[in-house]
Amino acid sequence: MALLMDTRLLLRKVKDLRCLTQRRHRVKEKWAVTRTKYPATTLALQNFDATYSVQLGQLWPSVRAALLSERKYGALLNNYCHDDVQAELQAKGCKDFPTDKEIEVQPCLEQEPEVAGEEESCRVSVEKSDPDAQQLPPLQLSPNIKCLVFPRGDITRFKPARPDMFGCLGYYLMDAASVLPCLALNVQEGHNVLDLCAAPGGKTLALLQTKSIGFLCVNDTSVSRTSRLRKVLQSYVPKPFLSEGKLRITSFDGTKWGEIERNTFDRVLVDVPCTTDRHSLMEDDNNIFSKNRTGERRRLPQLQLALLLAGIEAACPGGEILYSTCTLSQVQNLSVVEQAIHTAREDHGIHLQVVDLRPLAHMFRKTFQFAPNLPLGVMVVPHIAANFGPIYMCKLRRLA
Amino acid sequence: MGTRVAASQVLRWTLRNATSVFSPLQFGRCLLQPLCTGGRLLCSSTSHGPLQPTLHDRELNPLSRQPVTELSLPSLVDMGFTDSQAEQMYEATSKLRGTSTSKHALSTLTALFVLGLNPSSVQKILEKCPELYTVTESQFQQRIGNMRKLGLVEGSLQRVVSHYPQILTVPVKTVKNVVLFLKEKCLFTFQQVTDLLRDSPAVVLEDRGQLEYKFQYVYFRMGIKQAEMVKSRLFRYTLEEVRCRHCFLERRGLYQTPDKKGQTMIINPKLDSILHFDQDTFLTNVANASAEEYEVFQRLMAREWLEEEQLQGNIEADSDDDEEEDEEDEETGGKSGYRKKRKR
Repeated sequence: MALLMDTRLLLRKVKDLRCLTQRRHRVKEKWAVTRTKYPATTLALQNFDATYSVQLGQLWPSVRAALLSERKYGALLNNYCHDDVQAELQAKGCKDFPTDKEIEVQPCLEQEPEVAGEEESCRVSVEKSDPDAQQLPPLQLSPNIKCLVFPRGDITRFKPARPDMFGCLGYYLMDAASVLPCLALNVQEGHNVLDLCAAPGGKTLALLQTKSIGFLCVNDTSVSRTSRLRKVLQSYVPKPFLSEGKLRITSFDGTKWGEIERNTFDRVLVDVPCTTDRHSLMEDDNNIFSKNRTGERRRLPQLQLALLLAGIEAACPGGEILYSTCTLSQVQNLSVVEQAIHTAREDHGIHLQVVDLRPLAHMFRKTFQFAPNLPLGVMVVPHIAANFGPIYMCKLRRLA
Repeated sequence: MGTRVAASQVLRWTLRNATSVFSPLQFGRCLLQPLCTGGRLLCSSTSHGPLQPTLHDRELNPLSRQPVTELSLPSLVDMGFTDSQAEQMYEATSKLRGTSTSKHALSTLTALFVLGLNPSSVQKILEKCPELYTVTESQFQQRIGNMRKLGLVEGSLQRVVSHYPQILTVPVKTVKNVVLFLKEKCLFTFQQVTDLLRDSPAVVLEDRGQLEYKFQYVYFRMGIKQAEMVKSRLFRYTLEEVRCRHCFLERRGLYQTPDKKGQTMIINPKLDSILHFDQDTFLTNVANASAEEYEVFQRLMAREWLEEEQLQGNIEADSDDDEEEDEEDEETGGKSGYRKKRKR
């Protein structure tokens, strides 16, 4: 009997093996159904066509053409490099865009940022209804960040950076619009800064260029990505600046940060994972729009919300949080911020104030094209002549 | 009437010199045949009877006694050219004087007049394409005959010749090959080929590969059938123009390649409206874009295609390397050339 049971068990196990079923009983594999009909880039494009044509309206065709064309880069200048790369690049026609801003705004820059309307701060769209666009409140930027770009309409490319005599590379090529969140973060002398989703390291490097950070905490969930980040930092920043007392690189789950370190950081950069619009349109490998990552893509806004909330919790009262993405999607931008402000107030008792970034948009309108009339935060939209972005950012200040 | 007079003048003048230049047999073969094809012309001119060279005509023109085939100023005026036109023509032909080609000048004029073109357009044609002076009489007959055979009827024929006189410098064989190519590789019908030749005769001299690429690009990438290609005079435009405008629209989401059933999600603009407008009208009416955008786009595209071509060149070079090792030096030389270009 036991033997019979055994054989039956064995048979049941064996049933899955295809070689034992007769050919005529075998189920023919429906390979045509399982195979993706379209490549992921096409799916991404279809998705964008459906959502953004509604969201951006008239602007979408131009943004679409820009997204599908070659992007422009900015050269984030390495202040730790000893060669005079800036002069070299400027001779080729590059301009340092943070200094190349609109003149009428510049005088205000020296003043302290004023905290306007604290009692209104809980409401999300407080400062958008400012009728007088000329009297934009002043805005402070992180110092020392230099990013060189070719002027509007110029499609020249940068050469790969060369190392100086100490092995430090001269510049880091990245989307120039990605420097904006770092500029807007307004890092001041001695600040404790947290970069919650740091890899691959462009923004971290930009933060380090300020040379005024007291302690920088760098985190990314993925270990492989943090190791890449470490390599980037090592090839740009000399060792003494990467010592234990100055920098910490971790691979924790960013959403749990509120439980690890509460009320610690003066500045928090939350550059969340998103649908990375430009990348998704260009690269089929590991594309977030591929069929097998659908679930992950659906959960993105949820993850983004959790990360932003963790960032808010990690910030000390009076500290500032900057939320940024590289997508145009409203669901991943505005909605997440709105939801986060609401949840922070309801569940955690944290009151937040939205810092108006429109002066920043006004300052750099020569270099970037900004989306008009955004109710919350600012967004760089790609334009074929200034093919940077998309970058969305929104700055929050923690009140209590 | 002007043409008829001119033709008869040429005829008279030719007859006058005929004895010295051609043997009667040759003359019959070479000259009468085109005249017969333009039947009406010959009949009317002969019936009026100015064909016989009169005595005083000869005496007036002492040049005519000499056994020369070159054109003189008065003879040009005789043919119906105005003084200034005749002078220009004379200058043009005098450059050829003494060369072997000079003796064809007369036959060229004859052939053109026989087509029914008036002196001023003849002059314009020859100005546009002086190579016509070098074409022999029999070549003229063959080529014009061939064009008639291809369905270019009177009227169209004259239009083609006056718009694109270079077509008469192309050997019959080349034209036939192009027509064969259009019919067999691109599946145009006979009538469509005729229309193509009439509207864009320059196809006969276009590079075959380029032509095929253009056709396939429009057929496969844009999903457009032959009839519409003919209607929109596709072959008048360069591949770059077509490709650039199409890609611009495609990236803006205004053009989609139709699927197997010829369906698209959006309504594509007609090929006609993509190609025919000048740039500004195209941008405002079809693409809805600014001039700045299109200008930058064109530069980006030019670079993209250049790189694509280089990439293909490299791939071809690599595959060649595997096959033949003898040419290795050449291939690597070519590759390093590409690399140099890319570095710039």
